[in-house]
Amino acid sequence: MDSRERVIRALESEEPDRVPITEIDLEVPVMEKINGEIFPVATSLQTQVVADRKLEEKKNKFKIECYKRVGFDLLVVDLSAPETWKPSIKPDGTMIDLWGRTLRLDKQAKAWVPYGTIFSTPEDLDDFEFPDPEAPGWMFSTEYSRSLVKDSLGLATFIRDPFAHAWEMLTPMKFVPWMYRERKFIDSLMKKLTEFNIEIITRISEMGADFIISGGDYCEEMGPMAPTRFFKESIFPNLRKQVEAAHKNHLKLIKHTDGNLNPILDDLANIVDGIHSLDPTARMDIGDVKLKYGNKLLLIGNVSVDSLAKKSRIEVVEETKECIKQASPGGGHILSSSNSWAGGAKLENCLAMVETGKRYGTYPLMHMR
Amino acid sequence: MDTPLAELKNLILRIADVEDIKKAVGKALSSEVGSDEVFNSLGEALEEVGKKYERGEYFLSELMMVGLLATEIVEMVKPHQDRSTKTLGKVIIGTVKGDIHDIGKNIVIMMLQAARFEVIDLGIDIPAERFVEAVENEDAAVLGMSALLVSTVDEMKNVMEELEKKGLRDKVRVVVGGRPVTKEFAEDIGADGYAEDAIEAVKVVKGLVKE
Repeated sequence: MDSRERVIRALESEEPDRVPITEIDLEVPVMEKINGEIFPVATSLQTQVVADRKLEEKKNKFKIECYKRVGFDLLVVDLSAPETWKPSIKPDGTMIDLWGRTLRLDKQAKAWVPYGTIFSTPEDLDDFEFPDPEAPGWMFSTEYSRSLVKDSLGLATFIRDPFAHAWEMLTPMKFVPWMYRERKFIDSLMKKLTEFNIEIITRISEMGADFIISGGDYCEEMGPMAPTRFFKESIFPNLRKQVEAAHKNHLKLIKHTDGNLNPILDDLANIVDGIHSLDPTARMDIGDVKLKYGNKLLLIGNVSVDSLAKKSRIEVVEETKECIKQASPGGGHILSSSNSWAGGAKLENCLAMVETGKRYGTYPLMHMR
Repeated sequence: MDTPLAELKNLILRIADVEDIKKAVGKALSSEVGSDEVFNSLGEALEEVGKKYERGEYFLSELMMVGLLATEIVEMVKPHQDRSTKTLGKVIIGTVKGDIHDIGKNIVIMMLQAARFEVIDLGIDIPAERFVEAVENEDAAVLGMSALLVSTVDEMKNVMEELEKKGLRDKVRVVVGGRPVTKEFAEDIGADGYAEDAIEAVKVVKGLVKE
């Protein structure tokens, strides 16, 4: 069975030949170790920073090469920058992205790191040229990657959730007081970002992606980042519209979020088609979620990134086996870490997770009994 | 009827409108309550919010908003402060190299400011050399380091080593915190204090400054 079919079966809550395996992203230094090759350009896990299409092609090829070497079944790509966008680099070397975020370069991690915003007041957005979802180019990575991998890998496109996007775009230190004092403005911004996503979702479906992952956190270790009332009034209605748009275009929408989702899990499970992360260090028990929502939700996760960074290989193997035992029966599971492979993770442990998935994730799961 | 201080505390806990809080601060100060009592009341409110957050009754945005209200109240009270009231000391704070998380750090900053500390915020993803440079150039009592990722926490060790190398270790007391940081780790690297959360961070810093 090829990887794409494996992923699609899991997405349809069926048992493929074995549990599919993926990571939503790998930091550049990790990919360099795997590929045995230096990647020449800094990237970002949070926003579009590469305008040069040749470099974008190189970036995608580099990632595909890495995913194939590891033996992942699902490739996850971001939106590309629209064709007309050029990075705005200030004299001090920092960058302003499409969304008004200020970024600085971490040369060691080869990553553009967001640290601020150009917006000082809500009125600043009146003069801001909001990115146009109909502009050509957003789908470059999706289309290019699909043309390269064809059916050999599943493909998911990563978009940014409007709440998380607004939170990041304004920075938390502005979003939060405006959430209390300029609620209409915050709701209006999230609505605009939702409308952006709905248009983008239509285009994703045209480019051959198998599903959508909506990134950006709703929760942190202690629980939801905002009161549950705010989720019900402002976040979930927007999320529902995006899911409806995805379904209309024959796509499923999986929600990524770190943190402890338990206080909002029932509501979230009734809207989305799956959840990624399910961080065990944030009180998320993938077995419990499987029991309650396994017939409805695709679960992607949940070997702890802390384990990948700090534990022994044997401990990671055991944790991976337990994850499979809890989440994989009956399908509807894609094995991954509880976030992504960052530079601090031990590569040996990361690869052990994949190896264990292949060894113990074959259906029927005899080894798990 | 609530006393002016009790009323102020309730408004903070309810994350009331800033105009209502301004009025309450004005009422407290004009009822011959000193600025010190207002600060104490503020400290109590922050401590209560911290406990509610730990119990899951308050969410992150509420914790942040209360921290912000606290800094706004500090600014409201400053013009009324007794001339003899000084800041309790200067604190340098930053998130370590490789780590871009700053919400926890920013909450600590707001609470330290509310507790009348002067805070130098170095920002996020700060290499050891920048921490050391700040200690060298600022007359700070405390250096605070924050990390949220397990993979970045060892950077704190690097900072401690650099401080030793430059002969600056005794110039400043060091406090560490963040999700992956433990008391044992703090002791291992020779830090002077460890804080599990923002409320505790203020207590620890106050304790170190008194010593």
